[in-house]
Amino acid sequence: MSVLEVRDLVVEYSTVYGVLRAINRLSFEVGEAESVGVVGESGSGKSTLGLSVVRLLPPNARYAGGSIILDGQEVTRMSNSEARRIRGTTAFMIFQDPLNSLNPVKKVSTQLLEAVEMRCKKLGETYDVEKATREVVEKIRDVRIPDPELIMERYPHQLSGGQIQRVIIAMALLMRPKLLIADEPTSALDVTIQAQVLKLMNDLKKEYGMSIMLITHDISVAYNISDRIMVMYAGELVELGSADGVIRSPMHPYAKALIASIPRGVMRDAPLEPIRGSPPNMIHPPSGCRFHPRCPFVMDVCRREEPREVHQDGRVVRCYLYG
Amino acid sequence: MQISTLIYLVRRVINAVVTLLLLIFLIFVLVHTIAPTPVALARIYCGSPHCPPAELQVIIQQYGLSLPLPVQFAHYVVNIFHGNFGTDTLYKVPELQVIGELLPITLELVITGLIFAVIIGLFTGSLAAANRNNPVDYTVKAVYLVTWSAPVFLVGFILQLFLAYELKLLPPSGLANPTLGNPSPVTGYPYLSVVPQPLQGWLSGLVRAITSPPLIAAAVDGDWRFFVSGLHHLVLPALAIAITSFGVVTRLTRASMIDALDRDYVKLSFMKGLSKNRVVYGTAFRNAVIPIITLIALLFGFSTAGAVVIEDIFQYHGMGYFTVQAIYNLDYIAILAITIVVGISVIAANLVADLLYGWADPRVRLE
Amino acid sequence: MGFKEIVKRFLGYRGTIATATVVKEGEEERRLSGYRFYLDYLIKDRVAAVALAIITLFTAWSIVEGILQYVGFATRHRALGWALLPSNPIALNFAESLKPPSLSHFPVYIFGTNFSGESILSRLLYAAPKDALAAYLVVFSGIIIGMLVGTFAGYFGGWADEVLMRVTDAFLALPGLVLAIALSVLLGSGYNSVLISLTLIWWPTYARFFRAQALSLKSRGFVEASKLSGQNSIMIILRHIFPNSVDPVIAYAALDFGNVILTYSTLAFLGIGIQPPYPEWGSMSSNGLPYFPQNWWWSIIPGLVIMTVVVCFTLIGDRMQDLIGGRLTY
Repeated sequence: MSVLEVRDLVVEYSTVYGVLRAINRLSFEVGEAESVGVVGESGSGKSTLGLSVVRLLPPNARYAGGSIILDGQEVTRMSNSEARRIRGTTAFMIFQDPLNSLNPVKKVSTQLLEAVEMRCKKLGETYDVEKATREVVEKIRDVRIPDPELIMERYPHQLSGGQIQRVIIAMALLMRPKLLIADEPTSALDVTIQAQVLKLMNDLKKEYGMSIMLITHDISVAYNISDRIMVMYAGELVELGSADGVIRSPMHPYAKALIASIPRGVMRDAPLEPIRGSPPNMIHPPSGCRFHPRCPFVMDVCRREEPREVHQDGRVVRCYLYG
Repeated sequence: MQISTLIYLVRRVINAVVTLLLLIFLIFVLVHTIAPTPVALARIYCGSPHCPPAELQVIIQQYGLSLPLPVQFAHYVVNIFHGNFGTDTLYKVPELQVIGELLPITLELVITGLIFAVIIGLFTGSLAAANRNNPVDYTVKAVYLVTWSAPVFLVGFILQLFLAYELKLLPPSGLANPTLGNPSPVTGYPYLSVVPQPLQGWLSGLVRAITSPPLIAAAVDGDWRFFVSGLHHLVLPALAIAITSFGVVTRLTRASMIDALDRDYVKLSFMKGLSKNRVVYGTAFRNAVIPIITLIALLFGFSTAGAVVIEDIFQYHGMGYFTVQAIYNLDYIAILAITIVVGISVIAANLVADLLYGWADPRVRLE
Repeated sequence: MGFKEIVKRFLGYRGTIATATVVKEGEEERRLSGYRFYLDYLIKDRVAAVALAIITLFTAWSIVEGILQYVGFATRHRALGWALLPSNPIALNFAESLKPPSLSHFPVYIFGTNFSGESILSRLLYAAPKDALAAYLVVFSGIIIGMLVGTFAGYFGGWADEVLMRVTDAFLALPGLVLAIALSVLLGSGYNSVLISLTLIWWPTYARFFRAQALSLKSRGFVEASKLSGQNSIMIILRHIFPNSVDPVIAYAALDFGNVILTYSTLAFLGIGIQPPYPEWGSMSSNGLPYFPQNWWWSIIPGLVIMTVVVCFTLIGDRMQDLIGGRLTY
């Protein structure tokens, strides 16, 4: 029974320049206690994917097709009040920039207690301040912050980036979601802190049985804690499979190029192989396969028609090379 | 109170005092540049442009105008701190007395205008932010462009013409119904004896100052007829001032709200499940409003400048009206006194705004 | 480099700092540089185009009329001043006193007349050059003084900078109008006094801005490079700092012309500046006060004209600030 099931999802933005199709017929699943890494460049639609699961798309976006089934409920056609109910307690999303993630004018304790209060309201529990405070302290300890009482009395600007991200993860834990969506949670942090936060997420996944959807542009980060990896390009799924599989033997040319373009710091003379070309115009995307202008293996059919998904040995690839 | 907050407060106060001293210095320099010789200075202090030389000499002696400049400056500063602004040429009473009677009236007008401007600005700004790039947004932008560009006197005239004369909704001029007697400020204070002796003077002065504005005096006195009439007469002038100045508030509120609504903590609030209203008018607004506080000082300056013109049009007998008279009569002493008093008020308003800002934004007071 | 060279170099600056590509669907890229880009953008935006037209009209008229008036006074043929006007703006004509706006004798009475029978329209047209001159002169002087003082203070820093900051703080503490009143009255309230006072009040804002620009620019790459290659400070300022500071200021200045006109006419309203019988937009409004509200046109129409001109300046300035980015104020 999967926590998240996305089928043929289409999400469009209406902009002054035209209609932008940010997600084009995307299908994938996230199972219980499973973590899936969503990897792609800026503009690949990965952030939009995260926002669309929790119904936080901006006003100029719309669900133009397909479905998102979160814990058995259809998200795209819900009313606003229903969406409000499932947000947070079913799926919780955390964002990239720690400096802007917490309300600067309120203390940490206020903001965390508010999360508990809202959860109680949604799940029909009674809210008791003392009990809630104890729970908050416990969760702050869970995210490996020493001296929870001290942190609670602080304002966000008095915390470091890593601490803020942990507090937000604590906030997520307080809401007890089935799915945690993390949009570039470590991109703004130092490398050492990055590793700590990722390990924390991994441990919590095991402790709480929480599923994780990790959105990142850094494929090595995805490899770090994901069970499966999905590679996105120009709003489409181009490859999906187990983390080991995708990294060791990528199938789609884009995935291959992505992995090859990671600087191999250890070997000095290893060639740097950037992907030629630039990201596509999402309002007037290329015809046929959206990757074809940059693909080293491009064939005639790639230019004419969009390739369909090929399912092969537990992997999904969208490329004419495989069928 | 934490140490850092205390330090913040002290720094702000010192800043205000220093700016005030510099302001006085600036005025001193300007006056002495315009009138470099003791005789020229005496002409200024004389009160009328055609002063007999004998009287000029008397003035030079009296005000010590031939003393070396630093000494004069020291005297000047000391005088100002004692409230000695000289004797008004028209009314022949100490300038301070005239200002003391008229300033509260104008302050009442200016602060009311400021409050109106902030309210109108916050409302229209939020409206524009919520309806970005929408006809509502464009209308708001057009409105504040026009009101910002209109000279104060035009707004005053139009309001007076339509609301007072044509529609007869509100009175066109005056402080209050002239048949009613003016209320007086509170001079006696029953619990005064409780306070130690030296403080009594300051306290009674403070109480007197606070209860001087006509509306407050009327309320304290229980004179409700005057209160209502005064309120009636206050609306149009305050509205005129507010209309010309709300534009900056609208602009900043709109930008600030748009910025705040984009922030991740707003998304996080939605994530917790707060209702849209609570997030927009609670979290986002609370954060967006902070920069507006810095506008208060600017608005105070505008409103004061506008008050000069508005009091003339509406025959509202406060400091502004007095300024117009002083200009007409070339009453230099009064004009200098008014300038310094206005400067002090603006600096004080700045200080209040700084303190408010420190209260509202923890990032500033907790370094 | 000789002085002439320096001036030529500076004048030769064509605002090439701001360039932009204007791309239309299907068309090729067009690259316009500098001020031509601004003009192009402004003309395309219809509202801004109208505003620009009004301002051009205003300025052109002011220049022509201003020259006529000046020549007229200099050669004692004062009638030159109203040669182009529908009627004599300072002729007493009590038969026509206080006539409401009407279409008769178009366009003389389109705005009505005042107590002395003079056509409001003629008086408005006659007074226009004074406002225009005040606006352009004060802003340009303010920019130049502010540029010199602010850039040097910002670039060289030290105690000169501290002093400047304190002085501008003190200036900016007072609302402009109040200080303008004080200065103008002390200087003897005539037109020249008003211009001087306004200039004195206007330069601190620009000084602050140029100082901020100098501060931020002086640690930038190309400046450091110049320093390393032995360039002396004055040349660095002239070649690098000044040109890069100018763009946002130009956008703000467009706004500021409107602000000057507002302050100037308010001073005129209070009786400071040009004295009767010569008309001035602001003083016309206040002269009509005793006859208000029955003869409303006397007080209200000059105010409307002021508002229209200021709206146009503010609109253009606003658009330009949007274009350039880096707003000076909100």
